[in-house]
Amino acid sequence: MSMSDNVAPLARPCAPDPRPRRRIGRPVLTAPALLVVTIGLLTPLALMLRNSFNRFDPTELMISAFTAENYVKFFTDAFYQEVLLRTLGISALSTAICLSAGVPVAYFLARHVSALAKRILLIVILVPLLIGNAVRTSAWMLILNDRGVLASVLGYFGYEGQLGIMYSATAVTIGLVSVLLPFMIITLNSVFEAIDANLEEAGSSLGAGHLTVMRRIVLPLALPGILAGTVLCFILSMNAYATPVLLGGPTFHMMAPTVYQQVAKAMNWPFGSALAFILMSVTLILTVGVSALVQRKYRRWSE
Amino acid sequence: MNIQARHIRQGYAVISLLVIGFVVLPLIFIVWMSFFSNRILSMPPEGYTLDWYRRAWEMADFRNGFFLSLQTSLIATVVALVLGLPASLALARGAFPGRDTINTILMSPMIVPGIVGGSSLFIFFLEVEFLTGWRIAGSSIGLIVAHSLIALPWMIRLVTTSLIGMNPSVEEAARSLGAGSLTVFRRITLPVIKPGVIAGSLFAFVNSFIDLEKSLFLVGPDRTTLQIALINYLEWNFDSTIGAVATVQIALITVLLLITDRYAKLSRAF
Amino acid sequence: MSEVILQDVAKHYGDFVAVENMSLRIADGELVALLGPSGCGKTTTLRMIAGFVDATNGRISVGGRDVTGLPPSRRNMGIVFQNYALFPHMTVAENVAFGLEMRKVSKVDAVKRVDEALARVRLDQYGDRLPKQLSGGQQQRVALARALVIEPEVLLLDEPLSNLDAALRHQMKIEIRQLQQSLGLTTVFVTHDQDEAMSTADRMVLMYKGKVEQVGPPAEVFGRPRSAFAAGFLGIPNLLAGQVTAEGFVLESGMRLALSGQGGLAGRCFLALRPEEIALATDPLPPDSNALPGKVLIMTYHGSSVEYQIATEAGPVLSARVRAPGLGGQPVLPGGTSVWVHWPATAGVLVNEH
Repeated sequence: MSMSDNVAPLARPCAPDPRPRRRIGRPVLTAPALLVVTIGLLTPLALMLRNSFNRFDPTELMISAFTAENYVKFFTDAFYQEVLLRTLGISALSTAICLSAGVPVAYFLARHVSALAKRILLIVILVPLLIGNAVRTSAWMLILNDRGVLASVLGYFGYEGQLGIMYSATAVTIGLVSVLLPFMIITLNSVFEAIDANLEEAGSSLGAGHLTVMRRIVLPLALPGILAGTVLCFILSMNAYATPVLLGGPTFHMMAPTVYQQVAKAMNWPFGSALAFILMSVTLILTVGVSALVQRKYRRWSE
Repeated sequence: MNIQARHIRQGYAVISLLVIGFVVLPLIFIVWMSFFSNRILSMPPEGYTLDWYRRAWEMADFRNGFFLSLQTSLIATVVALVLGLPASLALARGAFPGRDTINTILMSPMIVPGIVGGSSLFIFFLEVEFLTGWRIAGSSIGLIVAHSLIALPWMIRLVTTSLIGMNPSVEEAARSLGAGSLTVFRRITLPVIKPGVIAGSLFAFVNSFIDLEKSLFLVGPDRTTLQIALINYLEWNFDSTIGAVATVQIALITVLLLITDRYAKLSRAF
Repeated sequence: MSEVILQDVAKHYGDFVAVENMSLRIADGELVALLGPSGCGKTTTLRMIAGFVDATNGRISVGGRDVTGLPPSRRNMGIVFQNYALFPHMTVAENVAFGLEMRKVSKVDAVKRVDEALARVRLDQYGDRLPKQLSGGQQQRVALARALVIEPEVLLLDEPLSNLDAALRHQMKIEIRQLQQSLGLTTVFVTHDQDEAMSTADRMVLMYKGKVEQVGPPAEVFGRPRSAFAAGFLGIPNLLAGQVTAEGFVLESGMRLALSGQGGLAGRCFLALRPEEIALATDPLPPDSNALPGKVLIMTYHGSSVEYQIATEAGPVLSARVRAPGLGGQPVLPGGTSVWVHWPATAGVLVNEH
């Protein structure tokens, strides 16, 4: 009699599950989307960067080369510098207006409005944003042209002169502000909502009036979010196309329409590509620079 | 009553009303004026008519543009859904190296300016055409590629948000009760994130539908989207046909937004 | 003198009545606890005193001065919030100095007073830290220092202990009481925890559904709850419905219980019994004794005592808390055991339905 006879038979080890354990978060799931973005965006962009160093030829369109002449042309031609400066100026102005008009609205929505009213107001703000540049800009043409709504309202109050807003920097700024304000309001609104309302109450119970509470407590805490909203608005206005074309008219040149004109109309791809990269680089450098400056102020407690 | 607090509140209310009015009033006017009988869009109204709507419908550019836009945006939304849903699952649930980089790449169509993306795609398509003879710029394929790129980041952003907001224990509970991965996805994950998927699809559709900058480079002479048809018409005319088309678009977008609002917090999309 | 007087103060949100005509006089230097379950109106009352919420009706005065229309910034009240509400972008010292700065106190004076305030809460070494670098208890003490440094007329505490763990909560309870007494500060303390209220307050105000249920010193409120709600909230789970008659307390089943010394109420009401006052007998008791027959449902163990749930034949399930078997109590009664629940005739408290 062997020992093993007395030992109960060992339970057979569990057979491994024949199906491989599928993990829901496998990185390979991103592959199709990555492929499409690579083909539809990254490759064309890389090609465009390369093209910006090529040479333009009126008959051949583009001659392969490695020259900086397109960039040199931009920085030596006063016309294009003026286009860039105008774009920067209009963008800075529109962003500043959006910031000062957006803060009170966003704060109001975050603190003083019932949930239902806020939901309705957000839709009211989002419709103009998502209505598309073509429709929104034509609506502004309707208001601003010399026989438009504004002119007739002013005429009703006895104003006789020409309005002359259409096809000017003013019209473009008005148009841009109306596109960017919804972005600013929505960004800032979530920023203000994330700030504990008790902090404001604590401030006022310690003797601070409303403006002091805003200046010393709310705005410093909102700074990172305000920065994000400002950067967003600035980038969007730097790249605006429809507003300057339709409200600025044919003689009002900004960067994005100039890129279109060079690439699609003049077919000067090398220079158009250079313009596109100058536009993106200037925007990037400015936004990164300003962000770094602002962030240095709040880094200490945000870490 | 605390009068000071009330005055502060009223101050904010007045400023907000003015600002929101500034943003919304132009749209109200264009809707109103689309019913004017004036030959050129101007104040005051000389009478009211529905004629502009008939004229807009009779214009081939607007009618065909509307259907081309509708078709392109629908296909782009489906493409974004097919590509975006698995990608969102990986981004929201996976913890793998390079996840942030992949996320940035997938969001980049939203970050790269429309004009830059559009012109680079235009040049790319033409260069491919020189090499192979395939006509992509001005074809449906080119337009669909561009619009899918517009739609994709919106889909991924909204679906990822709702996946992250989902309690992962729910999936673990289902698994512990004997459900396999596919069953868990079909019976648990998908129903829970359905609002996010619907909101993502609607945002993808709307943003594709209203795109102007990217399409600008990719439309052909007889293939224009509605937005391009609008600005082409604006170049030479300024009558209420524009108002009629704009009104239809405002109505469409508003309805889509109201539907989206039922499923997701709208402010979360930005 | 900083006596706080609330006179018919009410807060309505549309149809919803958050606080209903409340009148309360808080003496100078008194600590009053507003106690009640969530939604009872205690926090709304505190916020009306602070000025964050406008009263729909009534007046609030502090030291004879009507503050009803004043903004919070001009009420000179120190407030400690449930989540402390320390300014995350300011250091501890800057947080404490904020109120002094608003009062235009000179820099030199402010530094001195901040140091004193921080020393008082034993945080003199922490002035340069940021709030998030402190533990929950330390943050709470900063909040206290920030509220006290402005020498407020009234100190308002909104659930100040609810974010602390049990040991720290006990310690802070004592510290708050000591500080309050040494400064002689009129204080309103909002809490949902009856232990906190009883151990700190001079008087408790028990609130329910926007109304004051009972006001009085802790011992009085605890010993003589007036309503079924008050009894339940103060930890008396056993309520027997019945009638007060000349023969005693008659249950709905017709069974008669003895009363002794419970005056005041007549007609339909409840007899409230503390679990600690109930005894259990396994042998039949004489027919005239104050007892109800029942069966043991379940026993739970509480260290020095054990608690039995008894299903009585008269209807309700009663809790009885008796000394644990190891400490000289009777042996454990298994589930299903038939027992007699009995108590001294003086133990029950008669309470109103509402």
